[in-house]
Amino acid sequence: MAEIDRTRRVVIVPCSGIGKTYGTVSREAAYDVTEDLRPEQTRLVALSKLVLGEAEARSIVASNPAITIDGCKLACATKMVLESGGTVAQDYAVLEVYRRYKQLKPQGIAELNEGGKLLARALADEIAQVVDGLTRSGDGGDNG
Amino acid sequence: MPDYIEFTVDKFTFKVAIDRYYSMEGLWVKREGNNIRIGISDYLQQRSGDVAFSEVKPIGTKLAFGDELAVIETIKVDISLSSPVAGRVIELNPAMQTTPEIINQDPYGSGWLAVIEPDEAYAHVEQLLDPQAYFARIKHEAEREISK
Repeated sequence: MAEIDRTRRVVIVPCSGIGKTYGTVSREAAYDVTEDLRPEQTRLVALSKLVLGEAEARSIVASNPAITIDGCKLACATKMVLESGGTVAQDYAVLEVYRRYKQLKPQGIAELNEGGKLLARALADEIAQVVDGLTRSGDGGDNG
Repeated sequence: MPDYIEFTVDKFTFKVAIDRYYSMEGLWVKREGNNIRIGISDYLQQRSGDVAFSEVKPIGTKLAFGDELAVIETIKVDISLSSPVAGRVIELNPAMQTTPEIINQDPYGSGWLAVIEPDEAYAHVEQLLDPQAYFARIKHEAEREISK
């Protein structure tokens, strides 16, 4: 069993885009990782808190490796992590993930269709693997 | 690099290349010798959003005017694009298979869709818009929508 550095958690920062299908996919994937797949190794930080400059959220991001999930090319999650003094260990764009899973077409906003849910899960599975790599390294991983 | 005419509405700037014609739905048509290269206007690509997938009819496909030439799937919509000319598809942009986002990045250049050998070189050209007419059309449309 992999040894986990429990003093640090991988921060997951999804898109905050409300009313956007890809934003919803990003948040569903983040929930899957932080609540289901890797709850002990990860921590969810709302992008809106970083935008507002909340001190605790900024501190968490600044002291832990982050995985960002962006819903569009504006890449707000990635930009805000960097602006908050954090390090992006891995960044995902939902559109690029969808291109790898063409059969999982996401639709819906408040509630995703089946394709969207499966796409979110596929993305969450990928993120979980990255989390494992980061937590195994014990120092937050290679933040390239 | 073609020359452009452009306008800005809100935070968006739309360019219209002046060296080609346009269909009503926003495809550009550029004559190259006896053939016609086709792509998507800057206005249409910006309105439609980031392109996820692009499927263009295969080489050899014979198209009548108005037949479906391509389907573009973006983060917002799926668009069926009608051929602005009658003819046969003779060349496809290989980037559509691997990096269709090039439509968003360079709509008037490397983001082209297909080359068609037209049945008649000037068939249907009267149904296309010159750059100034297309510019006026989309400017009116954009300004009307932003004022809603």
